[in-house]
Amino acid sequence: MDVALDSLKFIDLTTSSIIFLFIVGFIGGLVSGFIGSGGAFVLTPGMMSLGVPGTVAVASNMCHKFPKALVGAIKRFRYGQVDVKLGLVMAASAGVGVQVGIKIQNAILAAWGQAGSNLYVSLSFVAVLVIVGGYVFYDAMKRPGAKASGPTLAQRLQKIEMWPMITFKTAGVRISMWFTIPVGFATGMLAATIAVGGFIGVPGMIYVLGASGLVASASELVIAFAMGLGGTVNWAMHGMVDIRLTLIILAGSLLGVQLGAIGTTIVREAMIKIVMGSIMLIVAVSRALAVPKYLAELGLVEIPKDAVALMDKASFVIMCAALALGAVIILGSMYKARKAESRQAAYGQA
Amino acid sequence: MAQELTKKQALARMAVFGAASAAIYAGIFHFAAPITEMFARGGMYAAMPIATVFLVSYVHGGFASNLWTALGITAKTQQKTVQATQTTPTKRPEVRATLNA
Repeated sequence: MDVALDSLKFIDLTTSSIIFLFIVGFIGGLVSGFIGSGGAFVLTPGMMSLGVPGTVAVASNMCHKFPKALVGAIKRFRYGQVDVKLGLVMAASAGVGVQVGIKIQNAILAAWGQAGSNLYVSLSFVAVLVIVGGYVFYDAMKRPGAKASGPTLAQRLQKIEMWPMITFKTAGVRISMWFTIPVGFATGMLAATIAVGGFIGVPGMIYVLGASGLVASASELVIAFAMGLGGTVNWAMHGMVDIRLTLIILAGSLLGVQLGAIGTTIVREAMIKIVMGSIMLIVAVSRALAVPKYLAELGLVEIPKDAVALMDKASFVIMCAALALGAVIILGSMYKARKAESRQAAYGQA
Repeated sequence: MAQELTKKQALARMAVFGAASAAIYAGIFHFAAPITEMFARGGMYAAMPIATVFLVSYVHGGFASNLWTALGITAKTQQKTVQATQTTPTKRPEVRATLNA
């Protein structure tokens, strides 16, 4: 059974690369199980740093994403946190958003080349993450431990009776379909641009539609499954999936996603917003460091090559740090909550 | 449902799912080169990686779920239910006579 793999498409796996992919898979899964998305923004560049071609990295990552999201969604559905209807309605408009996002990407690629496309991706990252991530973080810090009631914008939108009105039972929301469409569309657009649609989808479901952080992050897993499955069928039909990479990441992420899902039942709900806001803001810094490189490639500024290489490395390290910090906050708060619980149980017995 | 299992039951299930998961991974990685090449032929061959990840998500997912249960890391909702059933018999509501005049 000696088959030589195409070395341009498939890398030689070493022990260190297997361990790296397993660990990033586990941490990415943990964060996804907790906030509904995450991991992809480190996994794709991480695989590329190992020598995997961009398209194979994207395809292999997507092929691990949808079964991971499925397992996470089933787990959280058992905890009563998933609004399947909300997830599917959002996924439908997100599908359209993905197609439009791809068309915009292709147009930019044709007009300004690879550097222009990379600049657009990085600027989108920075703009969206700073604005949305900043607001999520501000909201989480402003009202720590507060019960998730419908924020002002969501309450106002829910009052507008515009046919067809949709009732999302688990989310406890009744809102016009016309308000779900832009949120889903933006989720898909972002997914096509920066590969993490959840950074718009989850805050959108919370602040625009009025779902709680728990339901929004859990329902995001349904969107991730639907979009991931669709994307994987497309990539796999083009023969871009490296099943070895997918299975190694999946081995770690299936452990992580279940732990993250359990975590949502243990810690206070505001932690979801704190973790999401923190990750988004740190990733924004990481992507901001990549902007000068693309500006230099377009000839808009002049930067020494050493400085560009340093910023490139710093950008990747900060991105890994964002994911690691998310995992530390999740595991730390789970440990604290468990400790407080056992202390309470001890008081009860005494 | 895995969450309702005792640690001992979870341990047994973890062993079964773990062995099955290890067998799948060993089988695929033993023939890694031909399988990777075949799964990346495109067209109708796309069904192969998709079917594989569904199988792995069931088997390895089952292992992971039982692993956390066996380690005592379970969802809080379950504990609340357990506490409720334990404390209910000890406190009985006082019977009071009421007069509807």
